[in-house]
Amino acid sequence: MTDNPETLWHQFDEERRRAASSKDAEALRIKYLGKKGPLSALLKTLGSLPPDQRKTAGEAINRLKARLEQAVEQLIAEFAEREADAALRADLPDPTLPGTVLPMGSLHPVTQIGLEVAAIFLSMGFFLAEGPEAEDEYYNFEALNVPKHHPARDMQDTFYLENGQVLRTQTSPVQIRTMEMIKPPFKMIALGKVYRRDSDITHSPMFSQMEGLVVGENVSMADLKGTLAAFAEKMFGRRPTRFRPSFFPFTEPSAEMDVQCIFCEGKGCKVCKNSGWMEILGCGMVNPRVFEAVEYDPEKYTGFAFGMGIERMAMQRFGIDDIRLLFGSDIRFLRQF
Amino acid sequence: MNILLSWLRDYIDIQVPPLQIADALMMAGIEVEAIHEPGKHLQKVVVGRILTRAPHPNADKLSLCTVDVGQAAPLQIVCGAPNCDPGAKVPTALVGAVLPSGFEIRVARIRGVESAGMLCSRKELGLGDDHSGLYHLPPEAPVGEDIVKALGMDDVVFTIAITPNRGDALSHLGIARELSALFNLPLHRNSLDDARGDGDIREQTAVTLEEPALCPRYGARIVRDVTVGDSPRWLRERLEKIGIRSINNIVDITNYVMMDIGHPMHAFDLDKLAEQRIVVRRAAAGEKLHCLDGVTRALDPSMLVIADARRPVALAGVMGGEETGVTAATRHVLLEAACFDPVTVRKTAKALAMTTDSSYRFERGTNIDNVPIALNLAARLIRELAGGRPVGGLLDAYPAPPPLRRIMLRTRRVARVLGVDLKPAQIETLLLRLKFEVSREGETLWVGVPPFRHDIEQEADLIEEVARLYGYGNIPATLPTLFSQPVLPTPLQRLTGQVRTAMVDQGFHEIITYSFIPTTIHESLREGPPLAIRNPLSEDQGHLRTSLLWGMIDALTRNIFNDEYDLRFFEIGRVFRPDASGFAREADHLCLGCAGPANPADWRHSKEPFDLYRMKGLLGRLGHLLPVEFEFARGNHPALHPARQLEISCQNRRLGVVGQIHPRFRTNKKLPEEWFVGELDLSALSQLKPRKRLMQPIPAFPAIRRDLAILLPKTATFQDVERIVREAGGEILEKCALFDVYEGKGIDPDKRSLALELRFRAKDRTLKEEEVQPKLEAMISQIATTLGGKLRE
Repeated sequence: MTDNPETLWHQFDEERRRAASSKDAEALRIKYLGKKGPLSALLKTLGSLPPDQRKTAGEAINRLKARLEQAVEQLIAEFAEREADAALRADLPDPTLPGTVLPMGSLHPVTQIGLEVAAIFLSMGFFLAEGPEAEDEYYNFEALNVPKHHPARDMQDTFYLENGQVLRTQTSPVQIRTMEMIKPPFKMIALGKVYRRDSDITHSPMFSQMEGLVVGENVSMADLKGTLAAFAEKMFGRRPTRFRPSFFPFTEPSAEMDVQCIFCEGKGCKVCKNSGWMEILGCGMVNPRVFEAVEYDPEKYTGFAFGMGIERMAMQRFGIDDIRLLFGSDIRFLRQF
Repeated sequence: MNILLSWLRDYIDIQVPPLQIADALMMAGIEVEAIHEPGKHLQKVVVGRILTRAPHPNADKLSLCTVDVGQAAPLQIVCGAPNCDPGAKVPTALVGAVLPSGFEIRVARIRGVESAGMLCSRKELGLGDDHSGLYHLPPEAPVGEDIVKALGMDDVVFTIAITPNRGDALSHLGIARELSALFNLPLHRNSLDDARGDGDIREQTAVTLEEPALCPRYGARIVRDVTVGDSPRWLRERLEKIGIRSINNIVDITNYVMMDIGHPMHAFDLDKLAEQRIVVRRAAAGEKLHCLDGVTRALDPSMLVIADARRPVALAGVMGGEETGVTAATRHVLLEAACFDPVTVRKTAKALAMTTDSSYRFERGTNIDNVPIALNLAARLIRELAGGRPVGGLLDAYPAPPPLRRIMLRTRRVARVLGVDLKPAQIETLLLRLKFEVSREGETLWVGVPPFRHDIEQEADLIEEVARLYGYGNIPATLPTLFSQPVLPTPLQRLTGQVRTAMVDQGFHEIITYSFIPTTIHESLREGPPLAIRNPLSEDQGHLRTSLLWGMIDALTRNIFNDEYDLRFFEIGRVFRPDASGFAREADHLCLGCAGPANPADWRHSKEPFDLYRMKGLLGRLGHLLPVEFEFARGNHPALHPARQLEISCQNRRLGVVGQIHPRFRTNKKLPEEWFVGELDLSALSQLKPRKRLMQPIPAFPAIRRDLAILLPKTATFQDVERIVREAGGEILEKCALFDVYEGKGIDPDKRSLALELRFRAKDRTLKEEEVQPKLEAMISQIATTLGGKLRE
């Protein structure tokens, strides 16, 4: 039996360290603070002390009591929290079991690339125009400076409808329809399906194009280069581009834009046929004859136009080697996107 | 078109590497598709002459040869070929040579005998598959000469694609002219040729030009006493290297001239021309021509022909006739060089479904000044190579030589269009290099267009020429500074984007199917007469789709045949229907297609099948994108199960259908019995008026909830019940939701039970039970009297 508060605290402190659960803590409380505990015993010794010591000893015992009570309570609370936490952790789920919600579907790779391309131009202030897929020959050809019996018609093998209309071979007729409706200045794009009479692993009779047209009072070929280079940087990352002269009846001068091959970084590979460059789009300054067809004053306005195939970009991006996969609706293919 | 580097050097002294030539052409708008250098990888192989041959002492099948390779001493080489005959000249790979197979030649001991090289077959040189013996070279091959040179392989072939505007570049001269401008090198023209000869052509033939509009110039020369035979080696080789088969010296010469200066020619057998004269006229109706390709073609008056006194002998600018063509027996030749109207040539070639090297060039425009040049060049070559005697002079029907075309070029306009400040003198220099004639008046240039540049018609064309030669790469890159009005997406564009997101979120995969449908498509999928394609790729793609259903059913079917059963697809695409006048009226539709479970089974849930109501829900929720409320009624689409389908409408417009695919399309047991499609006209939907959305105050007072289970005949619909409940419930009925439908065990087979959750609430006070009870009673009695239903016990 202890007769000294100091020793008693040390004894408690010793036992407290060995406590491992709220049960142990509760036992400590009963042991030290209970009626039969050493604290009660100490209190009982007070009476036997001389009166002049009684006060000091009583205070010491009371301090010890308060200290013990606080320590025990703290111990109990700590264990309670720890044990509650352990109880929560006891029901540990298997984090590797699959989630049970319906899996996401997917957008077609061509849609994904089309939206990506469109978003870049929309962010530059272009708007998205629409036009019919079954077109009048005038809009698809004549208004775009492709007269009948011109060899340029060989560039695009055309589907004709029995009613005399054509399936548009390019999204360029949307340029004409837009210009007939609104006055410059404007920046527009058109995204949609086009049709050419051609079918093999790199050609589909139906594919998607994105067309762009900018018309204003002082739009120059330098603006064309700047705009399309900005597009290319967003689409393909910072890499060299080049503009080569080409021929489209509705632009003059005409160009094709190449981007350094994204697969070989210009060193030459199978994808770029060892050229180091990937052909991305055709473009040019709007031919004054096109402006004449829509009654814009070619002296007042200049502009540039461009067009690109979406499938080819999707094929490059995703490493798709046969264009027919895009139109095969095969879930084993679609699921990958 | 193939272009030979050595041939280009007839015109231009160009010494830069082939790759640099190709690059310069590419950057000037002439696409080089391939560069072929056959001898590039063949080194240290020379012409050797076998001096002696002896059997190998230790091997029956080997020979021991001594070979003269032009060195001080002959080489000793062991050879296994049967034809290593003394005197033969054969390709000899010297020590150090690496053959195309990668085999490196070293001094080797073969069965104990030293061999210092290798005699080669064609195959070993990479020149074909012949491995039967050594490649015997022509006897005139100089001993010791590099084999690449001896075989004429020290040349470069460029395969070039020319855009349709550049007819002037379809020859070696044309490409040389371009290179001369690009590299700023002089262009040589040989001036060897003239029209001299024996006698006077005007006394020996005549040209009658009846259609000067369709043939602005027709020239002819005669060469007599030709010997038709093989072409000499140099001519054969030049043609063969660019992929033209050698026929005989006369035909080869006309082809050579075409590939040399770009002017198509034709050679007639003079003796076979009736009255030995030429008439350029339209074909008469009913006339026929047996062409050089062996096909007899019916002609019509839209076509221009070359005729003799009696009949057509050639399709002008397209192909000659067989009867009057040059044969081995031909003695006298009439050479034709002419200029034909591009449109007429093109129409004729198209009408007869043929394209020739000649029609290709005439369609793209030829140089009218080349007519005498071509004739004189060909006449000289015939004299030199076929022993002919040209007759003096040429007949040149050229009624109206066109004046030099002059186009005004404003240098300020150049700067404005290109965005680069080029000085007038700079522009002038560039145009001169391209053989334009230029006279300058201050800031304006007057540019004379050479007769071969048919593509230069307006100021913009000249600006392109300036830009092309200046280099597109040298034009700066800026951004346009124009300000334009904001333009919002159209309602359809916005809706389309939302629908896509909504469908992907519901686990649907987007498909894109062709806009074509087969002409043999089942009647039920037609939805009215489709638009027909006049020139389809196949009958399977003969019509334009009127709905997306066929493509969707086809997509589901093909996937199921691939053992993929868990399918949910959507497509957004255009459909086409003829309007009253037969022109296409287009709309964008959404189509859904589902097969397999609605919830793919996971480890906690079991599979739930798709059914009509799930499909209804999937489509119905799309109305909330506007928002509008769809109405669903029983449908009668012939491609869908007659009972399990609904028609979707809204604001009195039919928007689409949804339902189970008609059992007739279950053509195979693999296909499910229950598979579903739905179609929605997004164009129409986007035009509907959205419901106005005004905030309602959040309820401040508590609600009273009651569940109601009603047993009623199956003929009564949920809508019937709901209408009664809502009417009877009045203003305080806040919610009426169906939470269970039961039929089966414990219930009369003609009946079913509907369980409704009702919620009553007042806006301004706490509702009392006594207020709700009479409403419930009214509902029950109304259901009993109108629908024959009662409260389920």
